Amino acid sequence: MSARELQAERRTPPWTEWIRQGESPATVSEKPEALDDLVVLDCAVGHYGGHVLAGFLGELGAEVIKLEPPGGDPARRWGPPDATVGGEGLAFLAEGRNRYYATLNPADPEGQALLRRLAARADVLIEGFPAGQMDGWGVGYRQLEPLNPRLVYVALSTHGQFGPRALSGRGPEYDLIDQALSGLVFLTGEPGDDRPERMPTRVGSWISAYAQAAWAGLATLAALHWREGSGRGQMIDVSGAEALMRYLEYTILLYHTAGTVRQRMGVYDLAVSVYTFVPVKDGWAFIAGYTDANFGAICRIMGRPELAQDPRFRTTLDRTEPENRAALREEIARWSVNHTASEILAKVLADPGPGVVVFGPVNRPTATLAEAHWWERGCFGRVVDPVYGPLLLAMPAWRMTRTPPRLKLPGRPPGYHNDHVYAKYLGLGPARVAELRARGAI
Amino acid sequence: MAESYFDWTARLFDPALLATKPEALRGIRVLDISVIIFGPATADFLGELGAEVIKVEMPGAGDVTRILGNAECFWKNVSVAFFPQNHSKYHIGIDMHHPEGQALVRKLAARSDVLIENFKPGTTEAKWGLGYRQLREINPRLIYVANTGFGQWGPFAEGRASYDGLAQAVSGLTAISGFEESPPTKVGNYLGDWFGGCLAAMGALAALRWRDRTGEGQFVEVAQCEGLLRALDWTWLYAGLTGRDRSKTGNRDPVFVPSGIFACRDGAVALVAGADAELLGLLTALGRPELAADPRFATAAARREPAHAAALDALIGAWCRERSREEVEAAARAHGFAVARVMSGADQYGDAHFRARGSVWELDDPVYGRVVDYGPAPKLSATPARHKWAGKPVGWHNDYVLKGVLGLGDGEIAALTRQGVVGRWGDRRGAKPPDDWRDGAPRL
Repeated sequence: MSARELQAERRTPPWTEWIRQGESPATVSEKPEALDDLVVLDCAVGHYGGHVLAGFLGELGAEVIKLEPPGGDPARRWGPPDATVGGEGLAFLAEGRNRYYATLNPADPEGQALLRRLAARADVLIEGFPAGQMDGWGVGYRQLEPLNPRLVYVALSTHGQFGPRALSGRGPEYDLIDQALSGLVFLTGEPGDDRPERMPTRVGSWISAYAQAAWAGLATLAALHWREGSGRGQMIDVSGAEALMRYLEYTILLYHTAGTVRQRMGVYDLAVSVYTFVPVKDGWAFIAGYTDANFGAICRIMGRPELAQDPRFRTTLDRTEPENRAALREEIARWSVNHTASEILAKVLADPGPGVVVFGPVNRPTATLAEAHWWERGCFGRVVDPVYGPLLLAMPAWRMTRTPPRLKLPGRPPGYHNDHVYAKYLGLGPARVAELRARGAI
Repeated sequence: MAESYFDWTARLFDPALLATKPEALRGIRVLDISVIIFGPATADFLGELGAEVIKVEMPGAGDVTRILGNAECFWKNVSVAFFPQNHSKYHIGIDMHHPEGQALVRKLAARSDVLIENFKPGTTEAKWGLGYRQLREINPRLIYVANTGFGQWGPFAEGRASYDGLAQAVSGLTAISGFEESPPTKVGNYLGDWFGGCLAAMGALAALRWRDRTGEGQFVEVAQCEGLLRALDWTWLYAGLTGRDRSKTGNRDPVFVPSGIFACRDGAVALVAGADAELLGLLTALGRPELAADPRFATAAARREPAHAAALDALIGAWCRERSREEVEAAARAHGFAVARVMSGADQYGDAHFRARGSVWELDDPVYGRVVDYGPAPKLSATPARHKWAGKPVGWHNDYVLKGVLGLGDGEIAALTRQGVVGRWGDRRGAKPPDDWRDGAPRL
């Protein structure tokens, strides 16, 4: 190698190039997994937060074993009415990744005995039954802790495992219920009257389940870190309503300090303006620029520099005043509606500053899927699964240079891995598994 | 007789014992050089679980959330928007544009386990010499967490700024939320910041587990847009299989029918009766049990026909309008369908359940007095998460950090202060203590 080549080799690549290589989706399978020493029992039945949590831990490398009742998890039927795969609901399959599918009947004494033996070998157990149900079956944390003091036991519900409503408020649990209790529904939607489209509004996806899974995953990993030193597991209680409520920023503090009940504001933001949706020639777009410099950039891009000097819009406080905020949105809309989102984005990206405009289209899902950025970064993956055929799935959200998360297996039918799981963990052969199955224990 | 489950959980999670229990992340130091919400929330969530968080801010003004909002948001010289992502942190004012400020941050990074930033990709490296490649040289065990809008690389990553609202829009979340005929629905909080922050904290702890096993640190990144598009359940699978976009269904959950948000006399409730037994309960409460056998409603599949779902919504809507939220809740309990209040901040403030669980958390803060905020979400029996104090004025803990962590002497600190490398609050709203604060300088 010549001195010159050596020098070129040693040249530090720019950050973007270096990190692109360091996180390259193409090299993920060559790297180790952060959690691949963990065994997780996914006992969540009919519980989407638990379903997502099991997937999160599986993406990060844990060996996850789903234990569902012999007839299959009722969540397998969840999904839109007009599309299924292999008879399964799309919601279930979207998050059924990276686990071994075994059956076990937790209501059956023999099933309970098997669950106790599995829990004795596990690091984490996830459940989403009504509070106290597992305990009533003799397989709650109270009974499992003596068998395995290192166990981290994660219980997911709407109202939690303690507190006045834990018992009295118990009822069927749905994402919409959690969203309502969290306060997010109250803050979302067009202000107004009792017309249905002007009511407080839900988030379109099962967002409380994702919030619950993220919190439970975070708490589980904190508990596992603490276990390194203490040798002890513990019980973790995560409410889907509280999981989302913790994301509500200053809503409650504003009530405490000013007595003000934060209200829903439609397309506006209480704290900042411009920060809104405007119509464009080909749909809708988001546009923001609320500091003086950034608002000045919006005016420049619109070809309306004089707007920045308009007494209604001169300062950040002027622009957040409700009447001015609406007038300003009208001004922008009159301009934006004559241009496509990509025309405006091109202007935004070409603007030399000062100030920065934040702009982008309101993408329909298929429009997001048409953008190269997400594909290059590996946010989506098309897999051809031997059971379910071709599937388009969202990939893990984290990028990690040393232990990147990954998708290994989208899902499987109930009990698909029974022989493997019961042989590996309990030493039971196929004959014994068949007997247990015939008796309804698994 | 054995203790009841709920007596046992009341003991296991007893809030009176919380302060006597250890913290899961004790001994983990988090260096938070981030701004606004996405980064600071990531650090805050680790702090709730026991990590020591050192928040670096620009002397004088500090983090911009200190002045975010309209006049009503201001309280004791600071915006309420500052507090929810800045609990129990140590606040130090360091000018990272100054070479000596960079040297101080490098020294802190050498002594930290996790660093959190949310600047444009490459900024920390090119502008301040504080990038991952530089810091891992001095601390190979460091877990470096970088939060952005679009990621560190890729076509949108360079030169394209992002806010939460943009992440909602480009991820597809906006397009699947709200009502078809209305303007786009902006989710009422900065969802992409908070959910992304939660994911980033989880990623940091996955990396910590790897470090516990091997001693190796690493670089972890979460992009706001990518966090949200990972949270859209069946949206992508549906688009992949059908080539179609999932449509907006307003307040009806298209999977569980009937479902929706309904106005009562004194506010709104969410109501769902997805299973056959729940529907029978609901129709019984409505005084129309015979409708459970109506072919339009008898099966979950039939109920999901839009016209049938709308017919149920009309019945439910008329029934709710005549009743208080409490009456509707009582009927749901009696008949086994799901109802919850659409809670406002005021509802939550007075809610005994959230108070008992510490999900509404009341602090007695030495500077701000009574502070009522949302408490930690997850409840851990052995190592409960907690809030210790509220966010503080800029540079409040300079002595604690400069002396207690870095071991600098008074002379060195005085020199750094004279050069403007370190500093406290300026005489400006957001950064400074409340007007009634009379106790002089904070002490180590």
